[in-house]
Amino acid sequence: MTHRRKEQIEEIVVSLVAIALGLVIIFPLIYCFLSSFKTPSEFLDPKLLPSSFLNLDNYKAALERGNLLRYILNSFVIAFLGSAIRLIFSILAAYVFAFYDFKGKNVVFFMILGTMMIPSDVLLATNYLTVSRLHLLNTYMGVMVVSFVSASATFMLRQRFKTIPRDMREAASMDGYGDIWFILRVLLPITRPVVTTLFVQSFISLWNSYLWPLIATASSPEMRTVMVGITRLNSWEDENYQLVMAGVVISLIPSIILFLIMRRSLRKGGLEGSLVG
Amino acid sequence: MGNVSLRRRKERRRIFLLLLPIVLFSLLFVYYPFLRTVVNAFSRVNSKGEIRGFAGLENFRYTYSRPDFLPALIHTLTIAAINVPLTLFITLSLALLTEKSRRLSPLFESLFSLPMAVSMSAACMIFKSMFSPSVGFINYFFSIKCGWYESSETALISCVILTIWMGIGFDYLLLLSALRGIPKSVREATMVDGISLWRRIFLVEIPLISPTIFYVFCTNLVLALMTSAPMIIIMGVSSASGATNTLMSMMYQSGFSSSDYGLSAVMSLTAFVLTLSFTILSFVVEKRRVHYDA
Repeated sequence: MTHRRKEQIEEIVVSLVAIALGLVIIFPLIYCFLSSFKTPSEFLDPKLLPSSFLNLDNYKAALERGNLLRYILNSFVIAFLGSAIRLIFSILAAYVFAFYDFKGKNVVFFMILGTMMIPSDVLLATNYLTVSRLHLLNTYMGVMVVSFVSASATFMLRQRFKTIPRDMREAASMDGYGDIWFILRVLLPITRPVVTTLFVQSFISLWNSYLWPLIATASSPEMRTVMVGITRLNSWEDENYQLVMAGVVISLIPSIILFLIMRRSLRKGGLEGSLVG
Repeated sequence: MGNVSLRRRKERRRIFLLLLPIVLFSLLFVYYPFLRTVVNAFSRVNSKGEIRGFAGLENFRYTYSRPDFLPALIHTLTIAAINVPLTLFITLSLALLTEKSRRLSPLFESLFSLPMAVSMSAACMIFKSMFSPSVGFINYFFSIKCGWYESSETALISCVILTIWMGIGFDYLLLLSALRGIPKSVREATMVDGISLWRRIFLVEIPLISPTIFYVFCTNLVLALMTSAPMIIIMGVSSASGATNTLMSMMYQSGFSSSDYGLSAVMSLTAFVLTLSFTILSFVVEKRRVHYDA
């Protein structure tokens, strides 16, 4: 009896402490959300709460004057198409690694994994020159093109594909069905949870990326992504933070929603350990 | 016989076509630029990025003798030296606190991991506003007058705070799933033996998840050394005072503001070699201490 009592108390204490710490951790986000409703004069008084949550002027201004609508569209196209192409490349390669044996397989495999060892920051300057020579600066393709290769997605897909018996592919090819048919009709339906998770993960990371889009669209303000756009919101008028906070809230909505959905489906699918985030 | 070899040839062609996209793009946008950076570091490169002859170690001599190189190196190392152990301490404590599955576990886990979904530029703008010396909430709440990102004394430590915040989510989830992966039998054995909580944590759990701790340590080290450029660009602190210039932000400025590709290549290469050698060093040091058969 006393033991159970002790456990209940422990449960409550730990839960309260954890929630308090959790609130401290997400405090910057709470602050950002609350500040986005403030009027300019309220912002000068650094209290936490705005006087009204109905003041949507900042959101209107961010979308109109800050041209955020256009930037959201840009970001969406780049994150969506970029992730799709990244996934297609990874699926094709992972399929080969899981179902075929051939000379030099390990060399190619480690070559792709090796891309993980090279930090992308090191590549910025040369990639900029390459993309500019291909006349892709200030285009969607130019922003996406450097992120088509994902070693981790390829690796995880290969691990998943390897759990599917090779006989299945051999049977399909005996019946005269090709690789693409097998991938689309057999492989993808079975492995949908992993593929979806990788897609969402990739979407979030492309949506959130900053440095490369900044460089690749530097000379064309129309082509900026939303993450570049929000850093420019306070440049035309000084200390326009309430407006910036509204922009930040808008930019964060897709990634936070996707993130929470992904966490839930990972927990349900028991995939927690294999795919963090 | 001829049929078999024909089929083999066809199969090889299919394999080639399926692998072509990823191989092509990794050569063009990862390996070529990497090699090019190495070559640039040893070459005379003009402002259009074209190579104009062999330079030997001239670029290195020029870079390392610049008055702003040593401070940038020290800033980079300082960020790593504070950031890595602190992040590990925070995330490990959070993971140990919430290790047991409880009714509200999904809530804590979402709260602790949420910073992961926040982009670098959004986080920078939030912190810039929250820590603003004039209108920021932090100075108001603690009734202090600190310059944070806008003063050269505190800019570096402010950047560390932001880096830690951004890293919490991912590391927490990794450590949590490692802790939850400890076999039940081990846990029950420690319960039966009545070992105290602290002993259980330090003598059983931490050694058992040491591979994950080590992984977190290494990735944090790489992140701390390599990815400070966007933060420093957005915060706009380095141009004013140079107080937070790091190797990567110097690389960025030399490559894109002044088109000095030789200097930029040397900075990249220095950061890369530094990262690589730290990683190798930690592998060597940890080899004996990490427990790999949980």
